[in-house]
Amino acid sequence: MDIVVCVKTNPDLELVRVKDRVAQTEGVPYKIGDLEKNALEAAVTLRESGAASNVTALCVAEGNRKAAEDIKVALAMGADEAVVIDDPALAEPDQAAVAAVIAAAVRKLSACDLLLFGEGSSDNYTGQVGARVAELLDLPQIGYARTVEAEGDVVRCERSMDDVIETVQAPLPAAVTVVSEVNEPRIPGLMQIMKAKSKPLQVWSLADLDIEAPVPVREIESNLAEEQDRKHIVFEGTAAEQAEAFVDALIREGVLGR
Amino acid sequence: MESVECIVVGGGLAGLSAAYGLAEAGLEVMVLERGDYSGAKNVTGGRLYVKPIRGFYPELWDEAPFERPVARELVTMMADGAHTTVEIASDRFLEGGPQSYTVVRAKLDQWLADKVMEKGAMVVPNMKVDELLRKDGRVIGIRAGGDEIGADVVVVAEGVLRLLSSAAGLAAQPQPRHHALGYKEVIELPAGVIEDRWHLNPGEGAAQLFMGDCTRGMMGGAFLYTNKESIALGMVVGMEDMRRRRDGTESWQLLDAFKELPQIRPLIAGGTAAEYSAHAVPEGGITQVPRLAGDGYVVAGDTAGLSFNALVTVRGMDFAVASGYYAAEAIKKAKAAGDCSAAGLASYEQSLRSSFVLRDLETARNIPGVMENPRLFTHYPAAVGRLLESVYTVGEQPQAGLVKKAWNGVRRDFLSLATLRDAWSMRKI
Ligand SMILES: Cc1cc2nc3c(=O)[nH]c(=O)nc-3n(C[C@H](O)[C@H](O)[C@H](O)COP(=O)(O)OP(=O)(O)OC[C@H]3O[C@@H](n4cnc5c(N)ncnc54)[C@H](O)[C@@H]3O)c2cc1C
Repeated sequence: MDIVVCVKTNPDLELVRVKDRVAQTEGVPYKIGDLEKNALEAAVTLRESGAASNVTALCVAEGNRKAAEDIKVALAMGADEAVVIDDPALAEPDQAAVAAVIAAAVRKLSACDLLLFGEGSSDNYTGQVGARVAELLDLPQIGYARTVEAEGDVVRCERSMDDVIETVQAPLPAAVTVVSEVNEPRIPGLMQIMKAKSKPLQVWSLADLDIEAPVPVREIESNLAEEQDRKHIVFEGTAAEQAEAFVDALIREGVLGR
Repeated sequence: MESVECIVVGGGLAGLSAAYGLAEAGLEVMVLERGDYSGAKNVTGGRLYVKPIRGFYPELWDEAPFERPVARELVTMMADGAHTTVEIASDRFLEGGPQSYTVVRAKLDQWLADKVMEKGAMVVPNMKVDELLRKDGRVIGIRAGGDEIGADVVVVAEGVLRLLSSAAGLAAQPQPRHHALGYKEVIELPAGVIEDRWHLNPGEGAAQLFMGDCTRGMMGGAFLYTNKESIALGMVVGMEDMRRRRDGTESWQLLDAFKELPQIRPLIAGGTAAEYSAHAVPEGGITQVPRLAGDGYVVAGDTAGLSFNALVTVRGMDFAVASGYYAAEAIKKAKAAGDCSAAGLASYEQSLRSSFVLRDLETARNIPGVMENPRLFTHYPAAVGRLLESVYTVGEQPQAGLVKKAWNGVRRDFLSLATLRDAWSMRKI
């Protein structure tokens, strides 16, 4: 059985600062998302148990200049090979574009019986890509997986729902999106990192996949309430007087008694 | 044991400079850095004097992500509420290329790490080396986590604390009296505000050092460097003085009090504190430089004690880069000759001795001793302030003549046996 794990890299959120309500990502190094690491760990565990024979890490660079470097962590964690899809047209793709690229890449890869994803990415967590790829490739999909077992030509997962745990089985090939309870991802040692250096790593462009560049991302209008300065009004007097003055002020502002 | 040709412990400026030269020569290099990335754990003031190092890897420095070239130098002596600032804004500071730039290590080191990787070296972040492996007196590799990796040569560039090198017996354990504590805040301000407050042309920078009662008589001072859109404001205080004080003064309280001074507050007004960091600074001078190379290893940068504080010029980063460069040169020779023993690596020390690195440290040999004189941080800043304050004062009473005022000040504060003794002790710095 061949497993493909889709891995997104995003700016290290612990190092991102917010200034004037904008995330400052300049100079912040990227790393593989947390749930993607869970998905990788699940894949490598399946291979180590003999249930799978090959694990490929697949990454759409999404503007990360150093994706081909950063994906080596997946190789150090135990993936057998890696594919990065990097193209100037993919600097800021939306979820539909990423899913289309992944679907095309999976078709290009010779074999894929199980497609693993994190349930959502660490930065945006839209939780869309796994489901979209499953749809594009016409695969059954299991979401919120907290266990992943593969046997013969089926995959069986426990799904973490709010108040129940579902056990679901799907025929392979299938797509599974995992949640963090699935495992504790390993931290690769120096020896693994060194060995990763000689594992196969390919970088593909959109031309290699023979698909068109996605339509540029559209602007979304912000629906956040407008920011207001504090009014710095201090009410004095007895509690009753303060309350009265406070209510008056609220009425004057049009907040009360409309 | 798995092995590579060269292991560099520490991805700071010293380690990365060594790795760059080694990788460029086609040697197999692995840099191990315990921080999340190069630059994550590195602290400096700071400014980098580039003239001494421009000749090493000349292709690098023109595209380095520096902050601002320093066009104005200010030194402020402060005591009893009087600040006396001397400002030097010389055309020569920028002629033929600026002599120094302010830098942000998180940017600079990360950029250099990328350059090192482009040359083919492996830079592994989040990798703490736990031990230098020794066999029959020779350094044969490292242990990190559960893994042991061998190397023909290990470049030890672990920074000031020397945890690994002292445990392996390559260098003495650092002593508080040879170190200072450096700590700083990075305060964000718009570029235009910085340029207005320090009277700078767009893009140019200032460096300001403060001596006197900001350290309450302890060895050290405060510093201020202008970055592109922030300023670095901090202090360096002698560890031994700090330790001996025993009055409960905490280092951060000194900086907080400094920031509240009426002369400093307007400089940082409206700024947002973005970062706080602290680090040890080697200030022992040349007497604290350990053996620089031995069988299978060299030490570079702060680990080798290559740094000094000459009151108005603070240097360490240029020495770190230079020592990394010379380490790479020596290792290339040793590898070519197939001899990575102390004898094979001996050209490292020779190069440092004939270059500015050990020569400048030799010239500065007596500075650490002179800096132990507390009058430098108490009496003189106060005396300068008193003298000029009296010259500039117009009060209710009839004033003494200008020369008389000045002469009174000089006689009171400078014509004494103690001052003569101080002058005598300073003749060699
Ligand atoms: C407050 C302050 C102000 C200063 N001002 C100036 C200035 O204005 N100009 C100037 O030139 N110099 C200045 N210096 C000195 C200068 O910063 C240092 O000399 C310089 O950083 C030394 O570089 P380095 O590469 O030797 O060490 P570092 O930059 O300390 O690098 C050592 C690296 O080794 C890593 N490391 C340590 N142990 C391990 C381990 N076990 N395993 C893996 N990695 C490890 C660390 O994470 C670090 O990245 C200042 C220093 C301070 C603290």
